[in-house]
Amino acid sequence: MLFNSINYFIFLTIFFLIYWLLLNKKIKSQNLFIVISSYIFYSFWNWKFLSIIIFSTLIDYTSGLLIYREKRKLNKQLLLGLSILVNIGILVTFKYYNFFIDNFILISSFFGLKTNLKSLEIILPVGISFYTFQTLSYSVDIYKNKLVPTKDLIAFSAFVSFFQQLVAGPIERATNFLTQFYRKRDFNYLQVVDGLRQILWGLFKKIVIADNCSLFVDLIFNNSAQYSGSTLLLGSLFFSFQIYCDFSGYSDIAIGTSRILGFNMQQNFNYPYFSKNILEFWNRWHISLTSWFRDYIYIPLGGNKSGLLIKIRNILYVFILSGLWHGANWTFVFWGFLNSFYYVLYLFLISKLKVTFNKIQNNFLLKVKEALSISFTFTIISFTWIFFRSDSLTHAIQFISGILSFSLFTVPVFDGFNKSLLILLFIIIFTIIEWNGKKYKYAIEKTGEKWPRLFRWSFYSMLIYIIGMFTPSNELPFIYFQF
Amino acid sequence: MRKLTFRLLLFILFSFSIYVVNLFFWAQFSSSILKPNLNFIIGNFGHLNTRLKEVKQYKNVDILFLGTSRAYRGFDPRIFSNQGYKTFNLGSSAQTPIQTKVLLQRYLNRLNPKIIIYEVYPSTFEFEGYESSLDLISNDKNDFNSLKMIFKLNNIKLYNTFIYSFTRELFKLDERYHEPIKKNNDYYINGGFVEKKMAYYKSNFIEKKIIKFNKVLLKSFEEIIIEIQKRNIPLILVYAPLPFNSYERYSNNDYFDFMMKSYSKYYNFNKIKPYNDSLFYDSEHLNQNGVKKFNFNLLKVLNTEDK
Repeated sequence: MLFNSINYFIFLTIFFLIYWLLLNKKIKSQNLFIVISSYIFYSFWNWKFLSIIIFSTLIDYTSGLLIYREKRKLNKQLLLGLSILVNIGILVTFKYYNFFIDNFILISSFFGLKTNLKSLEIILPVGISFYTFQTLSYSVDIYKNKLVPTKDLIAFSAFVSFFQQLVAGPIERATNFLTQFYRKRDFNYLQVVDGLRQILWGLFKKIVIADNCSLFVDLIFNNSAQYSGSTLLLGSLFFSFQIYCDFSGYSDIAIGTSRILGFNMQQNFNYPYFSKNILEFWNRWHISLTSWFRDYIYIPLGGNKSGLLIKIRNILYVFILSGLWHGANWTFVFWGFLNSFYYVLYLFLISKLKVTFNKIQNNFLLKVKEALSISFTFTIISFTWIFFRSDSLTHAIQFISGILSFSLFTVPVFDGFNKSLLILLFIIIFTIIEWNGKKYKYAIEKTGEKWPRLFRWSFYSMLIYIIGMFTPSNELPFIYFQF
Repeated sequence: MRKLTFRLLLFILFSFSIYVVNLFFWAQFSSSILKPNLNFIIGNFGHLNTRLKEVKQYKNVDILFLGTSRAYRGFDPRIFSNQGYKTFNLGSSAQTPIQTKVLLQRYLNRLNPKIIIYEVYPSTFEFEGYESSLDLISNDKNDFNSLKMIFKLNNIKLYNTFIYSFTRELFKLDERYHEPIKKNNDYYINGGFVEKKMAYYKSNFIEKKIIKFNKVLLKSFEEIIIEIQKRNIPLILVYAPLPFNSYERYSNNDYFDFMMKSYSKYYNFNKIKPYNDSLFYDSEHLNQNGVKKFNFNLLKVLNTEDK
């Protein structure tokens, strides 16, 4: 069941009514209802994989209690190790088994060795990378005494399986999110309206921008050898907006839904394409994952307190792991590496140049500088997305070579070029709305706040109309479901 | 909660009104690129508009034909009329059982046929059925059955076209519309038939495929069969002739035959008598020579049935 489907809205409406009308003020019943509904929601995709969620929930629930009770450090470490082993074990089995086997076979054959290993046909359970990271952080936080484990299995199960964020995040921390399952949730009219508005904006991003961009992205990336440099460049631009609007649109729907049910999730995207440098970008893109890697990988490895080389190594580790987290393919690994390269380059070279630019006082020049910085950051990030979207490294290199050819200076030609101009217009309008709303949690949070209700409602109605008119015929799944 | 419910209902009402008004004006004045999810085409190919206007003048027919374009281009009422049969053809382009059911709900009582000949074709059990639904929504009066059909297919293009078509009906905008009898190479013949200007098919390579039954479509098909059986109307399922390559593209034709036989009396004319490619004008449709041959063969079958 996709967030952008009518079925989901029927499901959510029924859930909402039962949750607030029948179970209001009964926190335990609400939590149990969340668990049951989340399992039903997941079963629409594949009920067989429910067992993994339940297994992961039970393991971390138990290990959390045992780690907390254990006084000896070694035993605590062993229990934590066991929890990590199980969670990572599940992830590796389902997500990386074939990747490692294929590469092992490749390397063996390179050295003339024969192996009997074979890759298996494994279906990747939806959301596995998200909920395993969420449960992992729970055990680690207890080990570090940042969190007291819960004895309430239902609340913990609800925290792990909450349907809004089960399949594609945000990866919530127990310190923020689990505690909300213990507190009484009051129905708040303004919060519900705010949540609905965020859902509407998320749907607009996903359906109007991302899904329409995807039509051209798929066409151009899947037949890249046939197209001119200018078409390929346009394809990569469309992908930059597709991936942003797809994932941040999903996050808006998830966060908005949680708000209408009385929860507060962390912001997952903070207008990353308006970043003035790569550091800023990574503080604003997929915040829940980036902060997870910072807190559970980068800092435990020594962070930036153990010397320059260790710092560079840690940055490299984090980005490569982040790449691998996205998928078992060398394209993702290289995407991570490229980002770490930018990051390190910025930290040690470009930031030094800032001293010169910081002397600029003129308002106009400051704005020019800001525009140039944003454009430059967007360009280098869009370049990395080519690796992210390509099927293989060879494909990515061919794609980039195609862009850097003389045909870059020709007019793009592909099926549906006229429609693509319309989508470009939507992207421009969308960017203006995002720019105007960049101070807020989501772009239209305060849009029309002071307008008469008639105008405000007309604005929302127009968004609904555009969604209705430009929804692609097929419901397209979210990109991050595959991770 | 009361405040939310009240405001939400008010907003839904407001928003829906804006949607309808927008849809109406947008459809009138914008180009097709700006309305990808609206496909209102009155008088589309296949003459459904004329056919559905004409059906309102028919009553108590001997034979009612149902099916796809292979039905309205395949059963010529003139040939049947010469043999003393009063017929009407309710076929429409890419008609799936979902649309057949709607048409029967609207016109079966009026036509009150003595026998129904339902042209079945593997693709009609595989199509999504959007094309035929859009055709029906644009060219016939919409009622509760249209709404049920749209909910079943659950596609935004159908919802939009339905709303737009319904608005046009309210303002009676299409009352004066008259579809030309002759369009391009098609000529409408009274009784629902469309005759194509004589042309000949040149056989091409066609990719092989397997017939797969869509569960939703099969369910609608079964409901049609049950309804017809309830009314004690004899039903004959007919697999009309195809060029050899087109027929042989399906590797499991026997399975299709088996399925159809399990529902009613069934004749696969691709097995009864071979039709060479010169009897077709394209990969799916008979030309007028082919229609004559096919209809005479069908009449022979009907006469045998009578005996």
